[in-house]
Amino acid sequence: MQTRDIDDRMDETDRQIRELLKDYPMTEASAGFYDRALARAAHEGTRRQRNRWIMTGFGSALAAGIVLWLLGGLFVTTPDAPSGDAAIPGVAMTLEEPRTVNLVFASKTALDDATLTVSLPDGIELAGFPGQKEIVWQTSLAEGRNLLPLELIALTPAGGEVLARLEHDNRSRTFRLRVEAS
Amino acid sequence: MNDNDRKPAFERLVRPHFDRLYRLAFRLAGQRAEAEDLFQELLIKAYGMLDDLVTVDEPGSWLSRVMYNLFIDERRRFRRRRMHLVDEAFLPGDGIEALAGTDDPVRDRERLETLRQLDAALAQLSDEHRVVVLLHDTEGYKMEEIHELMGIPVGTVKSRLHRARARLREILTEGGTFS
Repeated sequence: MQTRDIDDRMDETDRQIRELLKDYPMTEASAGFYDRALARAAHEGTRRQRNRWIMTGFGSALAAGIVLWLLGGLFVTTPDAPSGDAAIPGVAMTLEEPRTVNLVFASKTALDDATLTVSLPDGIELAGFPGQKEIVWQTSLAEGRNLLPLELIALTPAGGEVLARLEHDNRSRTFRLRVEAS
Repeated sequence: MNDNDRKPAFERLVRPHFDRLYRLAFRLAGQRAEAEDLFQELLIKAYGMLDDLVTVDEPGSWLSRVMYNLFIDERRRFRRRRMHLVDEAFLPGDGIEALAGTDDPVRDRERLETLRQLDAALAQLSDEHRVVVLLHDTEGYKMEEIHELMGIPVGTVKSRLHRARARLREILTEGGTFS
């Protein structure tokens, strides 16, 4: 009889809990959220689909010679041009402090299926790619100017050159960046 | 499909499911900000998979599964944010406080307090148990739908539901909500 009372009480409690759960509240999405989410998805989805890395516009075609800039006050003239070490742009880094280096690519026409290879010296890593000395992207580049941010992290007090090599249709250009970490 | 055609095609496929998807996002994430985050992530991911989406028979179920997998993949992020935002559930206009009242203020207060206790009890369940009990008992999903969404056997859905209810009963009885 006592067991039956306990069972009855449990059934009643379960019923009450289920009733409560039916009423468990939910906050509606904020006003206009669906439209904003849709617009952002179209924008962001297109961007992600086109490029795994951030490219926003492209200036001069590879065939005509890509021009690369290092943003932040530094200016890099035609890559691959014969030059001494003094002509290579440099950046000083502090150990384990991420430093973003922005590369700007420019071309007159859009390019599909370009390949970008980033090679790193010892002690320097690209954020998100731990332990990798060489990272390769397949990407299509749109007409206009394109920005590629590379977030570098220095793990040892060394230095060397970061190479960014862009290839398309058996043509290529290599961008060199001197890195010193302390 | 070119870029100009993609957006309207995408919208035609996904918009009819927005309300149900948002409800699912809210039940998974637990707060409006996180639910909107999850919903947004789903749309961005789905937009990139539009070529797959147009071929599926039931886009709503497909989108729900993608959302659930996104939640599982990123649950640490959502849980962390939920912890930071826990007090926001009780801000006026959001969460339990936003419940419509009745003509009986005493009853409203009691109901509010009981729902707060339920809220706290649900927070003590594992994600797997909480999601199952909320989808089944609150949103009215069938066992079969939960099985498809979560990718677990129906028997596991049943046992999780049973355990979740038992745990809620235990917590709420211990806390004095029920005698």
